[in-house]
Amino acid sequence: MSHGFDVGEAGLELHDPETLGDAGHPAVAVLDRALKLVNRLVMVPCMLAVFLAAAILTYSVAARYFFKIPTEWQDETAIFLLMGATFFSGAYVQSFRGHVGVEAVAGLLGRRANRFRMMFVEAVSFAFCAFFAWKSWTLFAEALHEGHSSNSTWGPPLWIPYSLMAAGMTLLAVQLALELTSRLVNKEAPK
Amino acid sequence: MSGSVIGISYGVITLLVMFSGMPIAFGLGAVAVGFMYFFMPGSALDTVTQNVYEEMASITLLSIPLFILKGAAIGKSPAGKDLYSAMHAWMSKIPGGLGIANVFACALFAAMSGSSPATCSAIGSAGIPEMRMRGYSPGFAAGIIAAGGTLGILLPPSITMILYAVAAEQSLGRLFLAGIGPGILLVGLFAGYAVYRYRKEYTTAKVAYQSGGTSAGAKSAMLDDHVYTMAEKVEMLPRVVPFVVLLIGVMVALYGGYATPSETAGLGGILALVLIAVVYGIRTPKQLQPILSSTIKESTMLMFIIGMSLLYSYVMSSLHISQDAAQAVVAMHLPKWLLLATILVMVVVLGFFLPPVSIILMTAPIVLPPLKDAGFDLIWFGVVMTIVMEMGLIHPPVGLNIFVIKNIAPDIPLKDVIWGVMPFLGLMFLAILLMCFVPGIATALPDLVMGAPK
Repeated sequence: MSHGFDVGEAGLELHDPETLGDAGHPAVAVLDRALKLVNRLVMVPCMLAVFLAAAILTYSVAARYFFKIPTEWQDETAIFLLMGATFFSGAYVQSFRGHVGVEAVAGLLGRRANRFRMMFVEAVSFAFCAFFAWKSWTLFAEALHEGHSSNSTWGPPLWIPYSLMAAGMTLLAVQLALELTSRLVNKEAPK
Repeated sequence: MSGSVIGISYGVITLLVMFSGMPIAFGLGAVAVGFMYFFMPGSALDTVTQNVYEEMASITLLSIPLFILKGAAIGKSPAGKDLYSAMHAWMSKIPGGLGIANVFACALFAAMSGSSPATCSAIGSAGIPEMRMRGYSPGFAAGIIAAGGTLGILLPPSITMILYAVAAEQSLGRLFLAGIGPGILLVGLFAGYAVYRYRKEYTTAKVAYQSGGTSAGAKSAMLDDHVYTMAEKVEMLPRVVPFVVLLIGVMVALYGGYATPSETAGLGGILALVLIAVVYGIRTPKQLQPILSSTIKESTMLMFIIGMSLLYSYVMSSLHISQDAAQAVVAMHLPKWLLLATILVMVVVLGFFLPPVSIILMTAPIVLPPLKDAGFDLIWFGVVMTIVMEMGLIHPPVGLNIFVIKNIAPDIPLKDVIWGVMPFLGLMFLAILLMCFVPGIATALPDLVMGAPK
């Protein structure tokens, strides 16, 4: 299955077209392939969620003006769907370096310096995302045990969006860990 | 450690992290969490995720993916090409009409898609070859498209305006309306310049042809007339009408009070998908998949940056950095217009290494209080700041649109493209000056539609 994305299309500017390529070490290569598969599978519910959110908000307008039904669950359902889609696709977007950064320095540094720069970037990014994933899980556990729900009249339980955020950030942390590992294992990594 | 030292180190470390090439979202998040760890009570770290969730879980912010969906649906269909052909056919009689057609097509497409790069590539891929075929100089052709494309962030629905409305706590409906007047002004200026430049190039070509020199004597394509019949013109219409209806329908839903801005985003997305299904037969999951996946790629990247910028601003204000900086700016007692100029220059400089979305969220808490203090209308400033960011899209070294043009017309030298956009930069600057003298260009329409501000 090809997602056929074109860099530069729809405003997506990739400053670093570098991909993982051959991951060198066989174990890393297997993990890399497995994660690619997971990311592609996860994209299906993400795409459906965005579409569904748009449909729900459209229904919301119709419900109010044509059927005179008060709207209370639509906005929050759309929020949950879009938050879920955003966090779940974070790892997929990272898998082709879709999270943009300032690449101005890359051209000024030599090969070795750039390797260290990328290792620093990946290590800090991983540390941040892992921390964020961990704190999302504790937030999820707390909301689940104490039965937190949102403040609205509808008041859906908050563990639902928290679990989506936590799972998505975990996947992203794993993705970053894999990128860092493959750079460490593969001494002559591309660039 | 004193407050100002913390503030300055926050800024310096952020700069270093940004220049390391770290993805902007993770970089901002990491700096924010690092400063939380060292300078804030331990409990702050426990609520980082809750904080980010609560800031992001706003239906206004989350309308961004839906506006992107609408743009992707329009952008991936042949709508841009059709829109362009129709404009061209209907304006071919006017001298310089092709240039005007390109400006208008850019403006309409920008309003429908909300994306500057998407506008550049959709209209430019048809418009640039056509203009060059008709003898327009390559730089001029590239300049029209690059500048026309920037209208995407000024005309509603604009993503940068959504963020500004959230950051400045201003009415989104009012801000959208305030962009329309200046948008029309810019379209007028661009079109006027296109006619002027066309006449100049036409005269040069004519003189060269009549003087009959050896190499210069080749007849420029500019001198050939191409006439469309009425039948051809009418034939073009049906394909464009649905999109104009979409544009107007969405506006009516929003300003007629039928839908909230976020519901409008959902409605626009669904309507756009229905239209491309009806008009272009794009309806199977296989055909829709590229639209949805490109929506996610762009919106996820943006939403991560937005979420982490919000965390970054939260830390900045918890550590009193933004308040201190704002107070320091106020204490300088700069003359009103110098203050505005200073802030706009800062926006331009930040634009060299940060995307507009982060600039808005990170600078709003610092620059808005002094501006308000000096008596500027914040809706008006939102529009001025947006035009400055539009300029950032086309001026070197980082103008995104320049690179989009480079992609669709690789044979035009970068130098020509850059010189081609310069006059348009001048026109945008002129528009900002006009808005300083006549603020009503921006504020009259929202006042008229929604009543005077409280």
